[in-house]
Amino acid sequence: MNPTLWSLKAGDRCEILGYDDALAEKYRIRLMEFGFHVGECVTCLQSPAFGAPKVYQVSNTIYSLDDEVATHVLVRTGSLRE
Amino acid sequence: MCWSGRAVCVSKIILIGSPNSGKSLLFNRLTGLSHKVANFPGITVDVGSGELQGLPGKRLVDFPGTYSLQAISAEEEVAVGYFEDALTDPEVEQVLCLIDATRLEKSLYFTLQIIRDCERHGKPVIVLANMIDILDKHGLELDVEGLAKALHTTVLPISGRTGKGVDTLISLLAQPAAAEREPRKHLIDTADAILRGEAHALAHRYGPKGDILVRTQTRLDSFFLHSLTGGVSFFAIMYLLFQSIFTWSAPAMDAVETALAWTADRVVPMLGNTVVADFTADALFSGIGAFLVFVPQIFVLTFIIGLLEDSGYMARAALICHKPLRFFGLTGKSFIPLLSGTACAIPAIYAARAIDSPRKRLLTYMAIPLMPCSARLPVYTLLIAAFIPAQTSMGGLLGWQGLAMFGIYFFGMFCGLLITGIVSRAAEDHYTDLPFVLELPPYRMPGLIPILRNSVNRAKHFVTKAGKIIFTVTVVIWVLGYFPNYGADLGESWLGYLGHIVEPVFAPMGLDWRYGVAIFTSFAAREVFVGTLGTIFGIEGADENMIPLVEHIQASDLALGSGLALLVFFAIALQCVSTVAILAKESASRSLTMKMFVGYFLLAYVAAVLVYQVTGWVVG
Repeated sequence: MNPTLWSLKAGDRCEILGYDDALAEKYRIRLMEFGFHVGECVTCLQSPAFGAPKVYQVSNTIYSLDDEVATHVLVRTGSLRE
Repeated sequence: MCWSGRAVCVSKIILIGSPNSGKSLLFNRLTGLSHKVANFPGITVDVGSGELQGLPGKRLVDFPGTYSLQAISAEEEVAVGYFEDALTDPEVEQVLCLIDATRLEKSLYFTLQIIRDCERHGKPVIVLANMIDILDKHGLELDVEGLAKALHTTVLPISGRTGKGVDTLISLLAQPAAAEREPRKHLIDTADAILRGEAHALAHRYGPKGDILVRTQTRLDSFFLHSLTGGVSFFAIMYLLFQSIFTWSAPAMDAVETALAWTADRVVPMLGNTVVADFTADALFSGIGAFLVFVPQIFVLTFIIGLLEDSGYMARAALICHKPLRFFGLTGKSFIPLLSGTACAIPAIYAARAIDSPRKRLLTYMAIPLMPCSARLPVYTLLIAAFIPAQTSMGGLLGWQGLAMFGIYFFGMFCGLLITGIVSRAAEDHYTDLPFVLELPPYRMPGLIPILRNSVNRAKHFVTKAGKIIFTVTVVIWVLGYFPNYGADLGESWLGYLGHIVEPVFAPMGLDWRYGVAIFTSFAAREVFVGTLGTIFGIEGADENMIPLVEHIQASDLALGSGLALLVFFAIALQCVSTVAILAKESASRSLTMKMFVGYFLLAYVAAVLVYQVTGWVVG
């Protein structure tokens, strides 16, 4: 099973592989409008305690996503392009 | 279109852009108006317009921000609907599309959609690359020429904050709009999915290189969002906010009170011993004065919240509070409205505008009236002093009265959250909802002038909108309490008569007609309860010095259960005309407001009766 954006810890970097089917189409489109495209590199900047929303950098913008959204974004970690 | 009473014909210029791209600030600079400005997405929630300074006959129309023309919330649907109407409106001669030059990626997809749709309807577009001052400050560059060539339109670097590029824009707008030309077919037919990819590529090619802005933001976030320092700084900032509401506004509130008393002392004697004098003293100066006294508090609260919003901290506070509030069907963005509600529900209801999810905004509206506002404080103080012994235990560390005050404050908050938790679970499918995706804006020094202007506007709005309703209710209550015996005896007045009629309603709480009348009048504003009881017991100035009134209540043999029932009743019931009026306006739903008013009254009543009955059973 692929890791998701929600599984990242602070400092982790990943590449977006896609979205799972449970995420409604309009939210998938909105995430892409924000820059969360397939193939894009995303960095997790903050992973606060107690399950609070995590903070991600995509391109030069910073967003906070909670688990209701981030668990549906499939990612690949490991060696990534810069 | 020629506006009636004007000699000039008016053409419209549309200002559109994504949330938090600096639209309102630029709008204010171009029109000289003072729309609310903040460093927080979703501040503009309605369409505003104003005449362009130096360009008579040209009106600038400010649209709410939206991330794309594919709306996913009610607010975005409104913005997109307005834009679609504007495209077919012959008065619209120009579209200004504002992008955030520091974060090109998030703006360009929307920009391409705007350019495409404007091409379809022959409307010329100028792209304004805002926040260019920030790029200059950090030695970063936007390839304006390259971007303009790629977009086939004018791209103008601009700064709403410093005014850079504004003169160039004004001179561009002063010229006649570009003549109609052949639409670019390839763009007109481009699908959204292709535009998304194109925007991504353009941002990478022409956007500023380097991540210095993000690195600065990240350094501050690693402090403000850290599990330990983030929590400590959050509580410290909230403590300061509370202090500002109660401490900083106190001198101004005292000044308003003193000024009103000073004026009343001079005006009322001039009117002689007449009905007009009684009306002026009791209805105008006491009634309206009790409401005007809250204006400084609203000003200070709006100012501090404005500072937090404009600095970029508000988005971080929303993030920190999101998880616990989500359990009760709310969102992190509900936090500031709920916090404001502990001072006064009115600014709290205004603050809820920033919640983008309509469902969660409605739930927040439902919780706000149950937050223990400052108007409840005199009532709680009176009842606790009358019914809870001033004893301490644990060597003076634990005071029963303090514990009771804490308990009733906590009870109100808990009820608010419990209700939203239940309603959100019961009405899960009734609204479309938005997940929590929050753009964290960069930190910046707040702009004091726009925040001050907004605070003045908010205070003015409170006086003009809520004032009318409060005045009407105050006059009605005064007339009922004054006639037919000209204020000689409240018990024999129409209000007293009404009190005897409603007495059976309050009898299950162990209360007689006097308390019924006080509860009845407190529906204008909760604190009126103390003054009315003072009048009924024949005590002057009961709201300033409660001790004689406390002694009267204790001597009246009212049961402990009745005192506790009153506390519970006041914690739940929606007894504030101003709140009801503002709630109806902001929620745009009289039906919801009426349901809340009736529902909270019934809930308060049932809970109070239960408390009275159970206390009687326990105490015996």
